[in-house]
Amino acid sequence: MNIVILNGNPDPNARELERYIDALTAELAAKGHEVNAHTLRDMNIRSCTGCWSCWVKTPGMCAQHDDMPVVYTSVMAADLVLFASPIIMGFVSALLKRANERFIPLIHPYLVIDRGECHHLKRYTRYPELGLILHKGADADDEDIKITSDIYARIALNFKTTLRFSIQTSQPIQEALHAIAAA
Amino acid sequence: MRLLLLNGSPRGTAGNTAILLKHFTEGFLANNNNSAETGYLKRAIDHRKLAEKFTGASAVIIAFPLYADSMPGIVKDFIETLGRVRGKGPSPKIGFIVQSGFPEAVHSRYVEKYLEKLARRLDAPYLGTVIRGGVEGIQAMPPFMTRRLFMAFRSLGRHFGVTKEFHPIIVKKLAAKERLSMVKKAVFRACQSIGLTNMYWNMMLKKNGAFERRFDRPYQP
Ligand SMILES: Cc1cc2nc3c(=O)[nH]c(=O)nc-3n(C[C@H](O)[C@H](O)[C@H](O)COP(=O)(O)O)c2cc1C
Repeated sequence: MNIVILNGNPDPNARELERYIDALTAELAAKGHEVNAHTLRDMNIRSCTGCWSCWVKTPGMCAQHDDMPVVYTSVMAADLVLFASPIIMGFVSALLKRANERFIPLIHPYLVIDRGECHHLKRYTRYPELGLILHKGADADDEDIKITSDIYARIALNFKTTLRFSIQTSQPIQEALHAIAAA
Repeated sequence: MRLLLLNGSPRGTAGNTAILLKHFTEGFLANNNNSAETGYLKRAIDHRKLAEKFTGASAVIIAFPLYADSMPGIVKDFIETLGRVRGKGPSPKIGFIVQSGFPEAVHSRYVEKYLEKLARRLDAPYLGTVIRGGVEGIQAMPPFMTRRLFMAFRSLGRHFGVTKEFHPIIVKKLAAKERLSMVKKAVFRACQSIGLTNMYWNMMLKKNGAFERRFDRPYQP
């Protein structure tokens, strides 16, 4: 499998999530998977400005010049994308959220009814499956994990795919590997 | 009452959030004892100053567009700043307005859960979340199509200015349908078959000379 990890940990000194991602990456590589991890805090990722250029001026391409094209290329070639973040104030980091909303060029403006709801049309024929890796930390509880995972299941729906699992860094790496194998 | 309004749209003063807040504020200021101040969350460098204002305020409304099924990244950024600067003790009363592109309220119900929990996290009395769908496009609509929407936001503001609460009936009216009804779905399909559902996007694509390229896949592996 081609697996992409978007590491949304904003704090290089908060090591738990980094260690988890490193260990997971090593295990996956040992199993023969191709793994590309992007550390978002080291990249230039700007906020979406809501200009709609990606839908009505340069279809499929964002008007901003930063490091997102690296992410786009890698995400669209992946079988599975893992979003990794510590829970901060009850949700994923602003850093990861900022990158997520820049995914809008990857879908199409046209509206469709999907599962009885309004959504957008696919731009590509195939999208990667999604998984969440959350680090709970001292300030978070199970309700925060549930709220965040539920929102990411909705994000997956709008990204024309499925959230296959949501795991926490407190779970053994083996459980993450099982979840990934089943995805 | 003195109210702090925080506009969380990345489009700032040019966005739809600003339009809805303008009508809300007009209604709110109909009561002469009220005063309101609006802050914009668009730029991260303003967040510290606004977080301090937040802490000192008696009531705050944070309004934002639904961005990928939740708050825009800049709003989350501001919430993280709040987490850092906030001392111990109670926060101001806090309410939210979430408006979205898709017409159904269901899209915003998930972030509503987050916002309700956020109020608890901040030890802030929760005033509720106003949800409104189908807002993208209001700037291209003729006045007769938006009149009732703007009137509803003005009454919401007027009631808020008197009772310090979101009026539950207006909130319910604004949220309208949770999901598309069978009739709406049938209407949608009929409109779709004659190309009406995509009219707004096609108009802009054509204006920009990009219509022929609308199905481009620049990141196809
Ligand atoms: C990056 C991006 C993501 C969006 N995600 C959603 C979404 O998940 N659901 C939805 O209903 N509308 C979504 N919208 C539409 C906006 O909520 C809508 O256009 C809103 O009216 C914009 O308000 P503003 O002009 O105040 O920024 C999104 C728009 C953008 C630019």
